[in-house]
Amino acid sequence: MNESAGSIKVRIVYCASCGYEGPALDLARDLLLTFRYNLAAIELIPWQDGTFDVAVGPLLVHSMLRDGGFPVSATIIAAVRAQLGG
Amino acid sequence: MSVSYERFQQGMTFAAYRAQMTRNQDRFDENTRLLHIADDDREFFRSLPQPVRVLVITEDWCGDAINNLPIIGRLAEDNNRMDVRVFLRDQNPDLINAYLKDGLHQSIPVFVVFDSDMHELGHFIERPARITAQMDVFVANVFATDPALAGVAPGTSPAQLSEEARMALGRGFGQFRAETRALSDAEIVREIRAMIAGSP
Repeated sequence: MNESAGSIKVRIVYCASCGYEGPALDLARDLLLTFRYNLAAIELIPWQDGTFDVAVGPLLVHSMLRDGGFPVSATIIAAVRAQLGG
Repeated sequence: MSVSYERFQQGMTFAAYRAQMTRNQDRFDENTRLLHIADDDREFFRSLPQPVRVLVITEDWCGDAINNLPIIGRLAEDNNRMDVRVFLRDQNPDLINAYLKDGLHQSIPVFVVFDSDMHELGHFIERPARITAQMDVFVANVFATDPALAGVAPGTSPAQLSEEARMALGRGFGQFRAETRALSDAEIVREIRAMIAGSP
């Protein structure tokens, strides 16, 4: 894997009025520890309406409305790896 | 679901719940301050031949609970025919798992109305159905008319929206709440009245 600063941005949008801060922080921590400086950024965006959505670059990898529940970190990590090219 | 009177009594009174809130008390109190109960509704509850018991499941971080719980407290305060007990969702899985939204989601608030013998008359989850339907229309309209959302398909995840588009949608949610606050409270009262009136 390339050790230079990455170009992939991960965006985690979570329902702040639902108390979803914990899963959002857990996922962000797992991504930080896995990819270190190979990600361009991890955005944590407080939202509402029961949302817990994760986009890796332009791709929506997880949507609580579409997929149900919270994502497994390994799924998001795999999606990042795929976009990083392996 | 069957809930015994002893289990019901283990809940907090509305005042005790309000006192133990660790966040959003200001929003909760503001929503309480803006409440209005119609004279007809006030009379309906005051003249109930038998008292009703209302079991509430909630958490203080929940936006729908902050919006929709105050009307229950105000109704109970206004008459001596409604006994309210409040349970925290995350500490009472036996209760919340009996009232899952669509059989799947631990959505709150939940209001379960019982008669004086603890026979369930009906229950309410999250927000009035009419408000949910109106919200869907409102959000679709924001997508259709706000320049920041031009060309974006309704229902697009906020994770795929630009910051400008997300802010436009967020403003829309705030506007919707302001415009439908009174209707939402009236709908909750209407739904609870219907549960009670429909009982034998």
